[in-house]
Amino acid sequence: MLNMHNTPAGKVFDVFNIMILGFIGLVTVLPFLYILAGSFATEAELTRRSFFIIPETFSLEAYKYIFSTDTFFRSILVSIYVTVVGTLICLIFTFTMAYPLSRKKLMGRNVILNLVLFSMLFSGGMIPTYLVVKGLGLLDTLWAVMLPMAINPFFLIIVKNFFQELPIELEESAKIDGCSEFSVFWRIFLPLSKPVIATFALFYAVLLWNDFFAALLYINDSSKWPVQLLLQQVIILSQMAIGDASQMGAEYIEPPEQSLKFAVIIVATVPILIIYPFLQKHFAKGILIGSVKG
Amino acid sequence: MAKPEYALKNQAKHQVQPLTKYQRLKRDKWLYLMLIPGLAYFLIFKYTPMWGVLIAFKDYSPFLGFWDSPWVGMDHFRNFFQNPDFFRLLRNTLYLAVLDLVFFFPAPIILALMLNELRFTFYKRTIQTLIYVPHFMSWVIVASMTYLFFTAGSGAINMLVENVTGKQINFLSAPEWFRPLIMLQIIWKETGWGTVIFLAALAGVSQEQYEAAIVDGAGRLRRLWHVTLPAIRSTIIILLILRLGNFLDTGFQQIFLMTNSLNREVADVFDTYVYFVGITQGAYSYSTAVGLFKAVVGIILILGANKLAKKMGQNGIF
Amino acid sequence: MKSILKTRFGVFTLSVLFLVSTVMSACSPTEETNQSTTESDTDRLEINIMTTAYSPEPPSDDSPALKGIEDYTDTDITMHWVLDNAYEDKLNITMASGELPEIMMIPNKMPSFINAVRNGAFWELGPYLDDYPNLKESNEIVLNNMSIDGKVYGVYRARPLGRLGVTIRKDWLEHLDLDIPKTIDEFYHVLKAFKEQDPNGSGQDDTYGMVVSKYNGPWDIMQTWFGAPNKWGEDPNGQLIPDFTTDEYMEALRFFKKLYDEGLVNEDFAVMDPLEWGDPIVNGEAGVIVDVLDRGHRAQEDIQEINPDIEDPIDVFGAVEGPKGLRHLPTSGYSGMLAIPKTSVQTEEHLRQILTFIDKLNDAEPQIFAQNGVEGRHFEIQDGELVELDNGNNQLVYEKQDLNQFIAFIPENRFHEPEQTPLRVKEQEIMEANEAIVVPNPAEALISEVYSQRGQQLDNIINDARIKFIVGQIDEAGFQDAVDLWYKSGGEAYVNEINEQYQAIQN
Repeated sequence: MLNMHNTPAGKVFDVFNIMILGFIGLVTVLPFLYILAGSFATEAELTRRSFFIIPETFSLEAYKYIFSTDTFFRSILVSIYVTVVGTLICLIFTFTMAYPLSRKKLMGRNVILNLVLFSMLFSGGMIPTYLVVKGLGLLDTLWAVMLPMAINPFFLIIVKNFFQELPIELEESAKIDGCSEFSVFWRIFLPLSKPVIATFALFYAVLLWNDFFAALLYINDSSKWPVQLLLQQVIILSQMAIGDASQMGAEYIEPPEQSLKFAVIIVATVPILIIYPFLQKHFAKGILIGSVKG
Repeated sequence: MAKPEYALKNQAKHQVQPLTKYQRLKRDKWLYLMLIPGLAYFLIFKYTPMWGVLIAFKDYSPFLGFWDSPWVGMDHFRNFFQNPDFFRLLRNTLYLAVLDLVFFFPAPIILALMLNELRFTFYKRTIQTLIYVPHFMSWVIVASMTYLFFTAGSGAINMLVENVTGKQINFLSAPEWFRPLIMLQIIWKETGWGTVIFLAALAGVSQEQYEAAIVDGAGRLRRLWHVTLPAIRSTIIILLILRLGNFLDTGFQQIFLMTNSLNREVADVFDTYVYFVGITQGAYSYSTAVGLFKAVVGIILILGANKLAKKMGQNGIF
Repeated sequence: MKSILKTRFGVFTLSVLFLVSTVMSACSPTEETNQSTTESDTDRLEINIMTTAYSPEPPSDDSPALKGIEDYTDTDITMHWVLDNAYEDKLNITMASGELPEIMMIPNKMPSFINAVRNGAFWELGPYLDDYPNLKESNEIVLNNMSIDGKVYGVYRARPLGRLGVTIRKDWLEHLDLDIPKTIDEFYHVLKAFKEQDPNGSGQDDTYGMVVSKYNGPWDIMQTWFGAPNKWGEDPNGQLIPDFTTDEYMEALRFFKKLYDEGLVNEDFAVMDPLEWGDPIVNGEAGVIVDVLDRGHRAQEDIQEINPDIEDPIDVFGAVEGPKGLRHLPTSGYSGMLAIPKTSVQTEEHLRQILTFIDKLNDAEPQIFAQNGVEGRHFEIQDGELVELDNGNNQLVYEKQDLNQFIAFIPENRFHEPEQTPLRVKEQEIMEANEAIVVPNPAEALISEVYSQRGQQLDNIINDARIKFIVGQIDEAGFQDAVDLWYKSGGEAYVNEINEQYQAIQN
């Protein structure tokens, strides 16, 4: 296998590739390290130094403040619940719909695909959607956050496309063995789609985790607020408190301290960041077709 | 390559024994059953609220409700097109959209290919994890970081520029730097995240295919060209077609945060404009009208691109 | 085929039914009022209040502080908290869904509210205010500012009119042996000295006069000193003209340009993130900031955190004297209003009950519950001084935070104030003193259709031209071009609209 890379030009390329990617990795992660460092720094240091990766004085104040009540902890639990359950729902809805749509023999397939496409471009808007959610009695429940985004049309089309790429003999050989369409999907196509499932699990999980607007509109009960809502509140508030042009600061709100802001960002981001390394093993090369075609 | 063969085979089979519609329905009953939850979702959450689109033709006031708000026909569209700033907004929006397509769209593909060439698994995974982090940072954070690095006087990058060229550049206020900065930001923030989907597609390439290529004496570039790229080609095309549907969408928050008095001439786009009109006017109807305009443009582009893709022998969306 | 048609048709009818039902519910406004009657105190007046929350955990219905307010006012309050960053969206949705609470906080004169008011959806409160001991002391200027078509549709939430002013490095002044500037000229000389005479004693040229950010406020505040009107001035014929057409405005603009040219203002102000605005003063790079007065004590505390040796680094003042004497740009004097919808409050008797409740909230006791909390739990009074018991205990803070969001604070604050530093006391005094020299905006109460549609673009034209003039990208002729563009882009119609309404009110 190693001889694949052994030509001199290949070696030069490899060295370059490694260096460039290393540089890109560094550049992308620096600001995050600053935020991390800032969350452990004192307010004084944050005002004085404009950029640093290691705080001079290490302070846990911001985190102590955040976790002095169970509010943040609870909101993280809510977020985790919404993300886990929501992702499951999304995956089931998306994959069961994508599979039939990937079968070209299906009657009415184009009509449905057009409907899906159309819904990507036209949306009824906030108020009509709110009225639907309200009509279904979902207000103030976490379903209101999960169900309205159960299928992302964009993802649906990509998954459909993935299924379409799989060799059709798979299906036909299974049919000869007497499998129903559903068990073809369940026993043959799904196990082959691990990288795809992992990808879209990640995509949906991130969407669900990051969403705050649905919760803002549909959830009044503060005990059901997800952590992103609190993050938005902290960040946007600190933006508004200073220099809101129209109000001339008509509200008496002290902006939250910078270190607190950073700590909230860390608390609201790290849980979703650590999902990726776990899913990564599914992206390893060669699982998909290699195992079948072999 | 292999694909048309399957397609032909399939077609041929159907021509041999044509089924009635009822038979086809019966044959595919499992498929239709599987469609039910998804269809229900689209009807309830996407199509039921669709009447909201009609408020583009009304003067909608939340208090009056849908039926009691007066009809105004095409007034909002007329206002939009006759707006003295319309062409400036259109130009700025198109400019950014094209730049986005040319510079941002290929970035994740290139990066994914580069990652794919890495042999050290641990290093590869570490880089992958690092580059997807910025996706999780809000634009507010990205904008203040940009300010921190690029501001005249104390910004680190500007000091570097000064050391090299002898003078500083007003990155943040000079209109000609606005678009490069916007591109830089979005490439920085979203490229790593964008690689995820291509890496998933690349996972579908079997090691055997590479080995076969090596046996055939294919060099590295040729392997890239004949094995790796075809494996992600259909993903690229689908993403490109779908991207065209949102062609006129520019990141509102990003642009809003980067706009200032000195670069507004090039910074104003439909999205920021609608936001301000929406905020100052609560203009639901108006912003819906603009949304409709953008959707129509998107539909035309998607259908066009889909047709083109099929003409060129690729799988489109349908 | 038949069956697919059937199912399709079925789904279609279903969704149509659904559509109809949701649309219908949008139009039937009465329902919710009796929802929470199951509570124990059935004889108490029930009031639903919708207002903003800033806390991640707004007080629940069994917060002792809220209970205190309920007992004092003999009501049963149900709170509908909405995090402030989507308040307007939520307000519009609430109006669309038709289930309105008895008291709705309206954050500003938003178009959907104006529209609703014009359609008779809210009670006009003007004629009633005089019947209530606290509300009758409402400030006339503020009432005028908040009015729509000359009528008052809510109880405003009072905020200081004279909140704006200047924060200055006192230690720098002392070091250079200078006094607080009294006139524009002295103000200029102080800025100049801050730039050139090494006020921080570092021996280096590392300071400048005043820090300004992307936010326009400071220019608006300072041009008022020069005699420029507050948005609208009156020409000799009694016609209203926009401020930027006056000579005083240009005079101020030339002054700003001079400040910039001489390096007395930070070079990157046009792009500076407002979040970074306060840093240079805390770091000892800049000596002056023109903003709200309460920035003073915040800056003081931040400086002392970095450098505890500096004893008293900050001073504040309201305005400096210009050719027309002391003048001050006021705020609107209110932050939103409590409005009462006619759909949930249908009779005048009910209205009076709600108004009595709003009025009573301004007594000392509810104000203390809302602001300080429950005595013995959240605070204590020792030797006449307030001692906060909930300091650092968020659980306790969350029980009372945001309860002040539905209190009008008319005519004055009656809760316990924390112990006042001399600086905070001075800030308060200046805010009051400022009220005597405010320059009112004669068109504040007027509503222009053109402006509501194109206001942002119109404002941008002038604000951008102002910044470009200050940094030297355009000259006075270029500024005039921008003014012409403003008139052509809808400004002319705007001026006419405002003047028509203005004349109608004058007569």
